[in-house]
Order: sequence, then structure tokens, then C-alpha cells
Amino acid sequence: MNPNQPKPTAEDALRPHSFDGIQEFDKRLPNWWLVTLYVTIVFWLGYWAYYEWFRTGPNDHQRIEREMAQVEAAKLASMASGQLDDASLWKMSRNPVMTAAGKATFMTMCVSCHKESLRGIDDGGIGANLRRQVWIHGGRPTDLVHTVTNGVLVKGMPTWGPVLGQKKITEVVAYVLSYHQEGEPMSVQPAAK
Amino acid sequence: MSDKKITIEFNDRVVRQFLLASVIWGAVGMLAGVLVASQLNFWQLNFSTSWLTWSHLRPLHTNAAIFALVGNMMFAGIYYSTQRLVKARLASDFLSSLHFWGWQAIIVSAACTLPFGLTRGQEYAELIWPINVAVVLMWVVFAVNFFWTLARRREPSLYVAIWFYIATIITVAMLYIVNHLAIPTSWTHSYSLFGGVQNALVQWWYGHNAVAFFLTTPILGIMYYFVPKAAERPVYSYRLSVVHFWSLVFVYIWAGPHHLLNTALPGWLQTLGMTFSLMLWAPSWGGMLNGLLTMRGAWDRVRADPVLKFFAAGVTFYGMSTFEGPMLAIKSVNALAHYTDWIIAHVHAGTLGWNGFMAAGMIYWLLPRLWNKPLYSQSLANLHFWVGLVGILLYVGAMWTSGITQGLMLNATAENGTILAYPNFLDTVNAIRPMMLMRVIGGGLYLTGWLMLAFNVWKTVRGAEPVNGSIEVSEEPAHADAGQLSLVGSFFNPPVLFSVFGVGFVCVWMFGHDFVSIAGLVGAMICTVMAYAHFGSRGRKWGDWYDKLLVNSMPFTILTFLAVVAGGMIQIIPTVITNRAANVEDRRQIPYTPLELAGRDLYVREGCYLCHSQMIRTLVPDVMRYGDYSRLGESIYDHPFQWGSKRNGPDLARVGGKYPNVWHLRHMENPRSISAGSNMPNFPWLLANALDTSTLPRKIAVQRQLGVPYPAWTDAQIAASVSAQQKVIAKDLREAGAYVAADREIIALIAYLQHLGKYEAVKPTGSAPKLAD
Repeated sequence: MNPNQPKPTAEDALRPHSFDGIQEFDKRLPNWWLVTLYVTIVFWLGYWAYYEWFRTGPNDHQRIEREMAQVEAAKLASMASGQLDDASLWKMSRNPVMTAAGKATFMTMCVSCHKESLRGIDDGGIGANLRRQVWIHGGRPTDLVHTVTNGVLVKGMPTWGPVLGQKKITEVVAYVLSYHQEGEPMSVQPAAK
Repeated sequence: MSDKKITIEFNDRVVRQFLLASVIWGAVGMLAGVLVASQLNFWQLNFSTSWLTWSHLRPLHTNAAIFALVGNMMFAGIYYSTQRLVKARLASDFLSSLHFWGWQAIIVSAACTLPFGLTRGQEYAELIWPINVAVVLMWVVFAVNFFWTLARRREPSLYVAIWFYIATIITVAMLYIVNHLAIPTSWTHSYSLFGGVQNALVQWWYGHNAVAFFLTTPILGIMYYFVPKAAERPVYSYRLSVVHFWSLVFVYIWAGPHHLLNTALPGWLQTLGMTFSLMLWAPSWGGMLNGLLTMRGAWDRVRADPVLKFFAAGVTFYGMSTFEGPMLAIKSVNALAHYTDWIIAHVHAGTLGWNGFMAAGMIYWLLPRLWNKPLYSQSLANLHFWVGLVGILLYVGAMWTSGITQGLMLNATAENGTILAYPNFLDTVNAIRPMMLMRVIGGGLYLTGWLMLAFNVWKTVRGAEPVNGSIEVSEEPAHADAGQLSLVGSFFNPPVLFSVFGVGFVCVWMFGHDFVSIAGLVGAMICTVMAYAHFGSRGRKWGDWYDKLLVNSMPFTILTFLAVVAGGMIQIIPTVITNRAANVEDRRQIPYTPLELAGRDLYVREGCYLCHSQMIRTLVPDVMRYGDYSRLGESIYDHPFQWGSKRNGPDLARVGGKYPNVWHLRHMENPRSISAGSNMPNFPWLLANALDTSTLPRKIAVQRQLGVPYPAWTDAQIAASVSAQQKVIAKDLREAGAYVAADREIIALIAYLQHLGKYEAVKPTGSAPKLAD
């Protein structure tokens, strides 16, 4: 629609008819007004396309679940700097924000030995298989934190404590634990291989 | 045509009646407003008396402002201007009188029912069903009187004010009837036909458009008549009138869901509500521009003339509110502002600034003309203006500050975002107390200004001779057949077809899947380009057709109806026809026991929903404060829904089980015995009154009709269930040291409150993964 037909002569003319003495100009619509109208229409098209057509944006439920996970992660993180216990580590392993952060660390620092699958030696790597329920240095969550922090030099596991710090170590352990269930059968075989 | 002239006398008697009624009811409504605002500051002003309690008077205040002040003012303005714009006396003196007295009877009956807890529990739709029927009847009387007058008009063409009146009449009828559909359980009580999310959607389709078509379009029509009259200037732009009228009536209807942003309302509806609200900005400002720019050339007179002052300020407030509205409809802004006093600021800028000032300007302009006597005091009218303006600015400024302050406090977190900074809701209430007091002062000043108007009216009218306007016209009525449009001419022409196909294609794009959707988008684009090209080359024909349409009131009315009906149908029909029990996300509400249902009706009666929401939004601060966010399945059996729109107190969606029974008992008796500093009224009568269970069987039968899965209980089974649950709660209270007879109302209310938040898990259908904790 183009209500802006240039009508220089008609601009200040009154419309012929009057209603109870009321007359009307027929001035053109102000440009800024039209731009406002068009911009809001374009915004609607774009917003609908983004959220409802392509569904690129998260819906409300996905968003609130993610945001609450972040809050939970922040709570757990403040716990991670204090005294750790098995229960809180299991809780962290179920928090997507924590495990995602752990995964990121894992995939840069640990992946060379333990492999992307975490299966380590069973997947062509040199590290232990972290998916099995049979552990070498103890399988309780706090055992894992201890192993990662202090390393097992004779087996080739470096001392990660000074490198990663407690927060990242906790996250990595949470990520490894996300492949396990609390209360699953677990055994320790100190010299498996 | 014969040249013989006759004189017709207008029916200005009914105009005078409506005008005086508007002045009187306006004062009553504002007085109620000042009282309820004071009660929020000083709980003692509730006097521990049910019919003087805030939650009983607040609906009285809102209904008086909308239906009594603006309603009467609107009828006065419409009847005065229409007769002159169409050169015909109102069709029927009997219908005019019936309309006036009927409407006053409705107002009186509202004032006699609302304070006593007779309410439907939906905002601005509180009146009980027999009064609803009366409102519809009176509206039909108004419509018949109006359209009959149009049919007898001697001025063939319809002026823009008439377009707005037509839109008002048909749209309010549609909104009012659909939102008040209900099944009665007694002469004073009914259950809404819609429940839960459906009820929410229909209610705010109504609530939002009551603002649009009761408080906006009729006043725009009045502006288009009285502003050029008072300014003695031509209207700024006819084509702006055309564009902003049609865009306004079409877009307004879609924006209702912006009252339900971030709630359990399905996302697509929220998206429509937000984006259409933004698109409403320009159409609204079209009206403001035409009003303000019409006064161009008369600004020098504004200094002395109170009428022009009121109009200039009123239209400016309209522009301000209609900018603020779209802004508040942005989801992230709404997350802060919703449920707070910011919304109160917004609606009062509209009612006090726009409606109240337009009413005052119109009344001051009409007085000398209706009573043939100069206004008693111009300077008192000018004083009214300044006192009123200062009043509004104090009011709105205080409520903005209050809303933003409380919103920020409620959303504030501490310790790295893991806990709420102000976990006690009362801390946020006490922070805004100075602003709540300022509101009383602002509102009081506005009321003072209105009383000056009333005094001026009284002094002018007293001893004056009422005079009716008249006009000399040709004896023969205008030949209506001049330029009559056929069915084809009305509907099968480029502007209408392009609009229909454009909207149709866009809907196919929005709601279709895959290729259908893309086809809709392509179709919409082709349609837009073709319309643009056609208008470029044949634009004059569009104008000619529109000129013809304006002499055809029936096709005009039908096209207006089509424009307003589209948005509502597209939003409401899919929501209403979906199988409720399946469309619940992952949770389904557990139906109330008979005692809990009785308690729920008390919750509605006491107006708890006016301060307490039952809707935890999908927002972190809401979830941290009140618990897991509400799913739409958790209120599907609620007739009426009680999601609420304002939080003067905390949300109650998951209050069940949070506190022991005795907590609720003590809290209802005297909130301050539990929460020091609370401004909630006392509800001691709940401990004294015996619960009326006689209507329960009928109520449960109606609930069954509405689809709530109650078994086919006998009356005796219902009574046994009630009595058993009463005893359990009374025993628990006794063990906690509180002695209340089991048959008191408070027991039922406690039963209801303890049920809130109970649901059964349903196999999740959504894709969102649930976080385990």
C-alpha cells in the first residue's frame, strides 16, 4: 500500500463534504508513522519465524529448565569449593550445566588417553575404561576426585589438581559420573590389566 | 426533491441524563478508588467488615470507572454527536429512555451485589449472570436505537466518528456475550463455560478488548466530533482516519494474550499477543496524531479555554498509554512489570488521563449548549484541569516508581544468583509504602478536581432552561439508494479481497506445516506486491469504492465485524476445541473434593484473586520464590480460572501443604499475627459463618456438565464427604490448640488452600527434558 502518492496540490485542500460543520483535510501520512507501522510488521514476521516457524529460539519451558539448571549449577559450584561428598557429586552428575562444562574439559585434557567414548584402553586409548563398573583406584565419587586431583604417576595418570583446580575437576568427575547411576554395582580391581 | 424544509428537534434530553449520570457515578467510582487505595496503606480501614473489605470494593471501583463513568459519558457523547452527524433525531424516545434507566439500574444492582461477594471472579466481568443478561439487553436496546437512527439518517455518508461507534457496538456485544457464557447454579451464582487456560484466553481477549472497544474506540469517535468542534479546525487527515481505523480494529483483537505472557499459555499465543501489541503502536498513534494535529492553529486558545486544555492533555495521555502498552507487552519488560503497580500506573494513565480528561472536556463543552447558559466558572474549570493533572502525574509517577521498585526487588538474587535477595514478600511491600501513600494523594487530587466539575455543573444547570438542538432539513429523507453497493460491490472489490487473501495467506504461513506453510508465505508476499501495485495504479478507485461504502451502513458494519472477529476466532477456537484432558503438558489437576470446591467458591467470593495470583511463570525468580512453574494442565478444571493479574501478596499456586492448617486459620483471622507488617485485611467472618452446603450438589452437577470428572455422587454422598473432611481438619486444628466448629466457612477455605498445587503426573508429551533434582 502506498498512501504517499505525491499530491502536492491536494495536500492542503479540504475534502468537499462537511459533517455538522466539521471539515477534513486529507494530509499524507507522516513518514515516521508509516515507518513505525512497517517496522513493527517486519518485527512480527521475524519474531514469528525465529520462535514459531524455524523454532530456532528456545520455547519457554526449555528456557526455564536451562536457566534453573544454571542456578542449580551455581549452587553446586559453590559447594564444589567446599567439602565434597558422594551425594553432592551424584547430584552434580545429573545437572546438565555441570556435565556440559565437565565434558568440555574432558574433551580437551582427558580425551587423548580416555578417548571420546570414555572407554580408554578398550577403545584404543591408554587410559582406564571409565564406563565400566569395575574401577582400579576406587569407584566412589570422592575416590574419582582424589584420583584426578593427585594422579597415579605409576600408571601414567597426571596430577591434575594444580592444573585444573577443584572446580574443573569436580565438573569432569560429574561428567564421568553422568555415565553411571548412583547405587549401581561397583567393584575395585587394583591391577586389572 | 422538494425544497420544503422541516425542522427536526434532537433528543438532547437523554444526552443530559447520561451526562449528569456520568458526573455523579464518576465521583462515586473515584471515591471508591481513593478508599481502596487507602486500605492498601492502612489495613484498619477495612473495618474487619466483609462488605467494606478491599477485595469486595475493588471490583466496585473498576466496574464503576469503566461502566458507570465512561459508559454514561460515552452514551452521552455518542447520542449527542450521532444525531448531528447523521441529521436525524434518535429513532425512539422510548428506547432512549429505556437505555438510560436500564443502564442506571444495572449500575445500582452492581453496587448492591459486588460488595456482598456476589461475583463471577473474573476481572471486569464480575457481575453475576442475571445482571449480565440485563447488560446484554440494554446493549441491544442501544444498538437498535443507534442503527435505527442510522437507517433514518438524512446525511448519506458516515463520518469517521460513526465508524468508531459502529465498531464499539458490535465488538462489545461479541466480547461481552462470549466471555459471560456460563451455567447458573443458582440465581446469584454460575460457573463459566470455559475453564483453566481456555478461560484465561477468553477472559483476556475480553478484558483487553474491553479497554479497546469500551474505553478507546468510542472515545476516539467522541474525539473526532468534539475536538474539531471545540478547536474550530478541520480534522487533520481523512486518509489517516481510514488507515488507523481499520488497522486499529483489526489488530487490537489479537493482542489479548499479552496479559498472559510467561504463563502456562501456549507459546504461539504469547508470540501473537506480544507482536500484535507492537503492531498496535502505530494505529493507536494515528488517532493521537489526528487529535493533536487537528488542534494545530488553535494552540493560542488552549491557554484560556479549559475544553481545549482537557482535550490536548487527554489525547496526549492516550498517546503515552498506547506507547507504554506495546512496551509492556514485550516479554522481557513484562517479566518485570507484570503483577506490579506499573500496570496500575498504565491503566490509570488511560482512565484518568485519556477517558477522564476527554469526559471533562466534553462535559464543559456541552454544558452551555445543553442548558443554554454560559458555564458557571471558566476559572474553576481551569483549576480543575491543573488539580487533575497534578493528581494524575503524582499517581502515575508514584505507581511507576512503585512497580519498578517492587519488580526489581522481587527479581533480585544474591550469592551468585542462587538465592533470592528478598525472600520475604513483605519486604518488597514495605519498600513501596511511601509510593502507595503518594498514590492516595494523587488520586485524592484527581477526585477533588472532579468534584469541582460537579460543582460547576450544578451551578450551571441550576435554574437553567434545558434546550434541545434542532436542525432544518429537506422534508424528504436522503435517498439511500444513491450509490447503493450490491453484495458483490461490497465484498468483491480490490481492497477487501487483498485484505482477506493477505490475512488468509499469512495464517496459512503461521499455522501450516512444511510446504503448505511456505506456500502461505509466498502467497502473502505475492498478495502484498499485487496490492501495492494495484493501489499504485488504481488507488483512486479504492478511494471511490470507500466513499461508496460510507453511504452503505450495513456493508460497512459487516466489514467491521469481519475485521474484529478474525483475531479472536484464530486464537480461541483451536484452544477451545482441543481435548482438554490430553492437552495438559506433563501434569493434570486433581479435581477438588466437595469441601474444597465449596472453599474455592469462598476464595472467589472474597476476591482473593485480586491480590494473589495462582500462576508461577516460566521465570527464574518466580520459580525460586514459589516453586516449579505452573503447567496448563494444573488448572484445567478451574471454572473460573484464578491465575490473577496482580500480586499485592504472594502467589498461591503451590501454597498447598506449605503451612499447617492452623497457620491459615490464624492468618485469615488476623494476618498480622503471623506476618508482621502485612497489609492484608482481616477475614474474621469466615470463622463465624456456617458453610452453606445446600447448593453443593447442584454445583457439582454443573461441574460435571462442564467436563470435570466427578463421579455421579448422590446428595448424601456429597454431604458425607464434606462432613468427613471437615472433621479431619477441625481435629487437626484442635490438636494445634485452635477450636473452630467443623461447619465454619474457614474449614472449607483451608481445605481448598491446602489442595493448591496438587496434580497427577501425566506421560510427558513435550520435548523439553525434565531436570532431575
